[in-house]
Amino acid sequence: MKDFLKRHGLWVLFAAAVIAVTVSVLSYFSNTSSPLANITGVITSPFRTAYTAVAGWFGDKQNYYEDNKALKKENAALKKQIAEMESQVRQAQTDSDENTRLRELLNLQEKNPDYQYETASITEHSSSNWTSSLTLNCGTNRDIAVNDCVITESGYLVGIVSQVGMNWCTVLTVLDTDTSLGAQVFRTGAIGLAQGDFNLMSEGTLKLGYLPARCSLLNGDLVVTSGLGGYYPAGLVIGSVDEVKMDDAGSTQYAVLKPSADLDSLKEVFIIKSFDSAN
Amino acid sequence: MIGRSETFIRWALFGAVTLLLLLLQGFVLQFVTIWGVMPFLYPVLVAVLAMWEGSVPGAVYGLVLGLLCDLTLPGPIPCLYTLIFPLVGLFAAVLSKSWLPAGFWCSLVVSVLAFVLTDAAHVVLLAARGHAAWSAAALTAGKETLATLLFVPVVYLVFRSIHRLCHRDD
Repeated sequence: MKDFLKRHGLWVLFAAAVIAVTVSVLSYFSNTSSPLANITGVITSPFRTAYTAVAGWFGDKQNYYEDNKALKKENAALKKQIAEMESQVRQAQTDSDENTRLRELLNLQEKNPDYQYETASITEHSSSNWTSSLTLNCGTNRDIAVNDCVITESGYLVGIVSQVGMNWCTVLTVLDTDTSLGAQVFRTGAIGLAQGDFNLMSEGTLKLGYLPARCSLLNGDLVVTSGLGGYYPAGLVIGSVDEVKMDDAGSTQYAVLKPSADLDSLKEVFIIKSFDSAN
Repeated sequence: MIGRSETFIRWALFGAVTLLLLLLQGFVLQFVTIWGVMPFLYPVLVAVLAMWEGSVPGAVYGLVLGLLCDLTLPGPIPCLYTLIFPLVGLFAAVLSKSWLPAGFWCSLVVSVLAFVLTDAAHVVLLAARGHAAWSAAALTAGKETLATLLFVPVVYLVFRSIHRLCHRDD
């Protein structure tokens, strides 16, 4: 190599200079790239394309990963937000229902200023196939006593308190066989006795018996508490006449009553703690 | 001393299982209606336990469970289950000792017997209070028995396991 450069070095230098000058001159006078640059470009072009493609693929993957990560994060945040909003909607619905109930109770209170109410939630519906009862979440701690009437916000009779504990009480509904109330047919004023009947209990109805001999009853007649004897307030809606029947002997008639209170869907009720029996 | 500890363990297990089944009754079966009635596990528990353990333990267990029932469930008289469940225990034990050997079929028979006794008491009390609703009461009793019999295999298997665990040497 050393001998070669000693012998031909000048020639190589000269050739390189000639090529350089030629390329420079051609570049100067040409509108396109020089042939050498052109050749170089042509040769490297596929490599550049491949490089760009690979870099683009990696870039896409990186963007996809970052986007995916960001979307997952955003999705989780949105899910949380939706859950919170759903919770708020549910709460709003509950508040709205409670508001409606309280408004109706306010109307009832205005109609019966002598009633003293206590609000109670139902903690348990009937726990036996032989009784129809409810358990409420208040007792002697809120001055609840046996025989207090339990009503809905609309003034429909639910039942009578039968047992009281410190923070609970049991209510026998109007359907229970142990419930017996002085009743009055609102249209005619006829007095009778509304009683739970085991034959009717499973159908969600009760019996209105001991009616006067010539009492006329129509389907849909409203039946309210009579208030006679002063045990229970007068005018609480028990239910409406669903059917008029004759007893087994065929001598006296009785009515099958459908309670106005929807006993299965009740959640909150109101206990009448005291009332003026003179009204 | 060994006998005492075995007895303690056996009754602790029976107590724990009873508690679990009472929770099942309170939290699940209370909200389930089959043919329009709720399954009622209490009489089955007394009958099946008495079938395995004999008359005295069965009657005592019935007394305790009956008392618990009367304290928690509304009833026509305050001591209905306290009176009936010990009888259920006695009859179930006598039946399994003298007529049908303790086993799955016997557990079904004593469960039906338990419901016959319990529901008969309900019907008599209804009649005594002027609510003689024989057909409706019989229908309710029949449905209640059938609905509860579906759960007898569970009670039978659990109580049998405890009985066998504690009587391995017998």
